[in-house]
Amino acid sequence: MGPSYYLAFVFALWAVGIYCLATKRNMLRMIFGLEIMINAANLSFISLATGVPGFVDPLAHSIVIVSIGLSGAVSAVAITLVVYAYRQYGTLDIRELKRLRG
Amino acid sequence: MFALPLDLLLLFTALSPLAGILAARMRRNAISGVYSAAALAAAAVSIYPVYQGASAGAVSSIVNVGAFTSYMRVDMLAVAMSAVFLMLGVAAAVYSISYMSKERGSPLYYSLLLSMISGMVGVVYSGDLFTLFVFWEMMCISSYVLVAFSRGSGDSVEAAFKYLVMSGAGSATILLGISLLYGMSGTLSFEGLALAFGRSEPSLWIYVASIVSLVGFGVKAAVVPLHTWLPDAHSAAPSPISALLSGVVIEAGVYALCRLCFTAFLPVQSQWLPIVMVLSVVTMVVGNVMPLLQGDVKRLLAYSSIGHMGYILAGLSIGTQLALTGTFLHIFNHALMKGAAFLCVGAIIYRIGSRQIGDMSGIARRMPITATALAISLFALIGMPPLNGFISELTIVTAAFQSDLVWLGIAVILNSVLSASYYLRVIRVMLQPTASEAVQGAKEAPWLMLLPICALVGMIVIFGLWPDPVMDLMQRSAAGLITLLSQVTG
Repeated sequence: MGPSYYLAFVFALWAVGIYCLATKRNMLRMIFGLEIMINAANLSFISLATGVPGFVDPLAHSIVIVSIGLSGAVSAVAITLVVYAYRQYGTLDIRELKRLRG
Repeated sequence: MFALPLDLLLLFTALSPLAGILAARMRRNAISGVYSAAALAAAAVSIYPVYQGASAGAVSSIVNVGAFTSYMRVDMLAVAMSAVFLMLGVAAAVYSISYMSKERGSPLYYSLLLSMISGMVGVVYSGDLFTLFVFWEMMCISSYVLVAFSRGSGDSVEAAFKYLVMSGAGSATILLGISLLYGMSGTLSFEGLALAFGRSEPSLWIYVASIVSLVGFGVKAAVVPLHTWLPDAHSAAPSPISALLSGVVIEAGVYALCRLCFTAFLPVQSQWLPIVMVLSVVTMVVGNVMPLLQGDVKRLLAYSSIGHMGYILAGLSIGTQLALTGTFLHIFNHALMKGAAFLCVGAIIYRIGSRQIGDMSGIARRMPITATALAISLFALIGMPPLNGFISELTIVTAAFQSDLVWLGIAVILNSVLSASYYLRVIRVMLQPTASEAVQGAKEAPWLMLLPICALVGMIVIFGLWPDPVMDLMQRSAAGLITLLSQVTG
């Protein structure tokens, strides 16, 4: 199986993430959407690491490990903001919070 | 380890909690403020030896930490950009000493400020795309928290969440674009990308990668359909952070696009640049029409940043050496002008406690120095002749006319005329003879706020009258960027 199948899956996963960000009202679910998008990119790195037959490039794997750490930091900050928003408004619904003009 | 200024910044960032502990023990918030201002100033001074090294040619170094090898490449453009970042960083840190003196948790604020600026300097010094991405995330994560820093106002948490979601989606898209480039070339260093793609035929995947990267970096650079986070985030942040976000953080996105345009996107450059050109015109029109409708002065300045991003992108989309000189010059000038404008507005808000333009009537009589400085920086943002904004807009327009893109040049000129209408409205309100209720008791801003404001305004005037040294620096940066491929192939 060539990397093109994996890439089709990667773009599908990316679209799922965007769909999740665009339609979900719950702040936590939006963070899940963000994580899905980052994982799509990670998967893309892993599937493209086998460019030369019989050899797997370790660069892509070390990149993915660093990227997982970074996405952990992003979700930590995001969840902190969710906690603050919940304490202030008592809801996780993003449309209830929307008092700002766009 | 890395380049000298970046090493110093990372070291000072790691040590900043110690200054915070000392500040808490002695009950003086100013200690961590002075510490961070001194750290940024030391890093700014240490650019000079790096500049001397880079004038002979790009300096590369390989940092080996375990499995992953990161690659730093410092050329003239990197030196020029890092100098802009650190200059505005020092101004914002000095300003924060008195702006944040009453806030709790200010040691955290200064640590985040330092790590945001280290992230930005890292972005411009990195020589491969993944190192760039790691520093990019360092900058982004610090800025999410800094936007939410204003205590007691609910808007800032919402704005920070919106910023986090949009910018996080942008970062994920950038990573996807990087992975596609890696899959095609097997390398991520800029020199390797230039070698792999420079003389190749365009394939389907390079089109996909260029569009995905444009979307990803475009979110951070506030290209118009992706700009909606900017007015909320920039107006909700504390004023020194607004100055940094508008003045330098969004420019980091343009820097990355410039780098990619002349390395990985060389085969599709002739199709990619017209897309950027159309987007730049849309960006400047939206960025100059929306401020007409704003009553909140910080939102007005935030929207006008979008307009200036339009001019900067227009310079990139022309793609000649003169146009790129104009782009980098405008990045430098915009950092000075918008930084000074946000700091002045912050000082006024600090004194009168309101962000509405209507509440500022007659402020020029109560805070003469701040109001004069604000007026000068707004005139520079319009592009009035003796000030620095004029020089860089003129360079971009001249480059457009030279490349037979007359309509683009005219669009830039018409937009700066349009922008005068809302900047002049702010100046008119400030000069009104009747003082509003909020202004009655206002007095001049503290001297620690006036010091960075006056320094920035002084530079606006000086580099308007005598732009040669910066012009020369930016010209060499643009030349280094364009000729990267021929440098590599020799």
